[in-house]
Amino acid sequence: MGTKRIYTANFQLKVCGITQAENAIEVAKLNPTMMGFILYPKSKRCVSLEQANSIADLLPKHIKKVAVVVNEPLEKVIQLAESTLFDFIQLHGNESPEYCQTVSKHIHVIKAFGIEKQLPDNLEEYANCCTYFLFDTKTENFGGAGKQFDHKILDSYHLNVPFLLSGGIDLDSIDRILTYSNKQLAGIDVNSRYEDEPGIKNIEKLSNLIKRLRPMIKKVSKEGYYGNYGGAYIPEMLQKNVSELAENYQRIIDDPSFIEDFQSLLKDYVGRPTPLFHAKKLSAKYGYKIYLKREDLCHTGSHKLNNVIGQALLAKRLGKKKIIAETGAGQHGVASATVAALLGMECTVFMGEVDIQRQYPNVMRMKMLGATVIPATSGTKTLKDACNEAIRYWISHTEDTHYLIGSAIGPHPYPDMVAQFQSVISEEIAKQLQEKEGRSYPDAVIACVGGGSNAVGAFYHFIDDERVELYGAEAGGCGADTDETAATLTIGTDGIIHGTRTILMQTEDGQVCDAHSISAGLDYPGVGPLHAHLHSIKRGTYLPITDQEALDAAFELTREEGIIPALESSHALALLPKLKMKPTDIVVVNLSGRGDKDMQTYIDLMNSGKK
Amino acid sequence: MNRIQSLFANKKRGILSVYFTAGYPNLNDTVPTLEAFEKHGVDMVELGIPYSDPLADGPTIQESSTIAIRNGMRIEVLLSQLKEVRQKVSIPIVLMSYFNPTYLYGFERFCKQASEAGVDGLIIPDLPAYEYETTYKPIVERYNLSFNMLITSDTPDERIRKIDELTNGFIYMVSSAATTGGTSSMSDAQMDYFKRVSEMKMNNPLMVGFGVHNQQTFAEATTYCNGAIIGSAFIRAQKNGEDVDTTVKKFVSSITGNQ
Repeated sequence: MGTKRIYTANFQLKVCGITQAENAIEVAKLNPTMMGFILYPKSKRCVSLEQANSIADLLPKHIKKVAVVVNEPLEKVIQLAESTLFDFIQLHGNESPEYCQTVSKHIHVIKAFGIEKQLPDNLEEYANCCTYFLFDTKTENFGGAGKQFDHKILDSYHLNVPFLLSGGIDLDSIDRILTYSNKQLAGIDVNSRYEDEPGIKNIEKLSNLIKRLRPMIKKVSKEGYYGNYGGAYIPEMLQKNVSELAENYQRIIDDPSFIEDFQSLLKDYVGRPTPLFHAKKLSAKYGYKIYLKREDLCHTGSHKLNNVIGQALLAKRLGKKKIIAETGAGQHGVASATVAALLGMECTVFMGEVDIQRQYPNVMRMKMLGATVIPATSGTKTLKDACNEAIRYWISHTEDTHYLIGSAIGPHPYPDMVAQFQSVISEEIAKQLQEKEGRSYPDAVIACVGGGSNAVGAFYHFIDDERVELYGAEAGGCGADTDETAATLTIGTDGIIHGTRTILMQTEDGQVCDAHSISAGLDYPGVGPLHAHLHSIKRGTYLPITDQEALDAAFELTREEGIIPALESSHALALLPKLKMKPTDIVVVNLSGRGDKDMQTYIDLMNSGKK
Repeated sequence: MNRIQSLFANKKRGILSVYFTAGYPNLNDTVPTLEAFEKHGVDMVELGIPYSDPLADGPTIQESSTIAIRNGMRIEVLLSQLKEVRQKVSIPIVLMSYFNPTYLYGFERFCKQASEAGVDGLIIPDLPAYEYETTYKPIVERYNLSFNMLITSDTPDERIRKIDELTNGFIYMVSSAATTGGTSSMSDAQMDYFKRVSEMKMNNPLMVGFGVHNQQTFAEATTYCNGAIIGSAFIRAQKNGEDVDTTVKKFVSSITGNQ
């Protein structure tokens, strides 16, 4: 792990000195976190309040607007603050702590300081009223020097107020700034270095800056890490197979003939694209627009086939003749057995003994498809033990066998490989929304998360698009505060499971805990490393859904929209009443699977008179 | 030089290392087992910290681990059992653990306390060379522990050299592509692999593990290599229900042929 920080949605990029509407709209498309309007008459980039107002109106709400003022009368600034046009006031003159204090009662304050040789002595007096400090190079005329001060001066900064850095930040110095270790560095403020002329921003230069600032969150590092999570914690016995995959997977996935084979099977065999269905009754009930991404209509009844086809084709290109797989609910096992039959490969599926009992029809499907089903009898006899057994079998059969992992878990490159194969889901969502709504992104995507493969697929194209909120529904079981749960991100801690560093449910001794969920597919004590990363940087929101909430949501969808969902997907549906959305917002629920396999649970519930 | 390094300096051939799971069959068997090992001629011990999901191990070791965890074995308990062990035995002790328990315990704290208790080395099968080299090596070295890494017949020569560089005790040669606990004799391919690696003349001595379970396989494994590690076979022997001393005595003579 390098020293470069992981810059995320939380890292501020303020583009200052906006003067012109069309140019501002182009800048906004690059998604800076803040845009600044200079209301200081002596600045070359000064705009009137009316101009600022009319430009700000054209910009998306999630970009924060900052009014930059210098030594204005207090009453005027308070008036500005109360106009609600701006999210921040940046005080760029010699305003006193008392002045800042008063302004801060009306609006968030950024207090700017010109730095020459050292930090101002009285910084601490500003500490309790500023959201950010901004450290700029000192000039006669309050900013705009376009030159850097010596950043070493900041080593002595130890207050709790995060700060933005300003003054001559160009592309050559950005990497050095990114490795700068003061943890209060919250972002940068750019202006003259990214302009064609004063007030007109150069979009290409800004875009290059943003690429440097925010390497894509969804992109895995060479060693297989997303931030602190991922890697390949495997015994030497698996090294050959896993390295072979890591060295070859991207080359194969990008190969045009592979793409052709993969796309053709997705279309004609899986039945893609799956529909994006506007659930009108649910929308009316919850007061915002709800679409269902119908992965339940895929061949074999869930999203699982997307990944299985990808991996099986890839395995063939690596010369493998046999596949092994683990399965929880049986969906991944059935998908693997199906593709093995299609492509003429031998298939062995490991399934926890407990799961074999609760998913009997899927066991018979696998057998009918010609697969061998081996019960995992160790440990808790569920999904994690099926994974253990599959890995052990792989250790003994490295030569001609590919381990087809069914979720976005396991050692690198599995999480990234699975994410790429499942990303067809979000790719289609973007296209379908463009057709139906005239915009290529929703306001939120919801998916259930066990290991997290359907969720990563539904999130994928939106992970680096901050306009889209990402929601994961974890299996809360009997409640995340009980022992009977699988809400890994809610209650788990950092550790290693099945070859990846992630968040998992474990004892304080590092022994992996038993997971519990009514849905066998979410009954896993770990979670894919990308989800652990999204959770830790707060890019995704992961909430636990109890067994009962999931059951209620299953019956609700059935009766409102005439679709019987899988219990896993019902967890995602159960988040709908918990979201706070506006009537114009568009929310996509990834309906990952259909409910056939869960009929016995539904039947028992109906026979008991509870539904 | 720690006890592992001096063992290999003084004895070149036929080194017998035996694995047992801490806390199995009973929580407090650790020290009596170590004493019996030393008394009956075991050269080195691989002491396993039980883990719920031991990927590289077969059913025998997993079962012993499950029981040991149920008995209450944990890193803290084990280290406190070992506290005065150096007043009783001088046999080199290698702790074997999966990475997760040591990570949760605090890797540095684990190394420090293990070293203070008289442990000589570590085997962490799922801590790969890359992670070890970039993050954990300085910690292990700070506490003067040997770090013993695994190779298999699939490990390319270049990687074997790299692992030899990173290791400072012995190289753990996994005899076959399987988990622990195999019961057949060594094949020609396995013998060829032992010979091939021994001819690479590495810095570290070679210990063969996995599938060594009786006099014949011990002899085969040590034909080209310095010694062998036996695990599952000893755990199976522990099930006879005899006292620790008798179990160890009978087991060692069944491997070495000495009465």
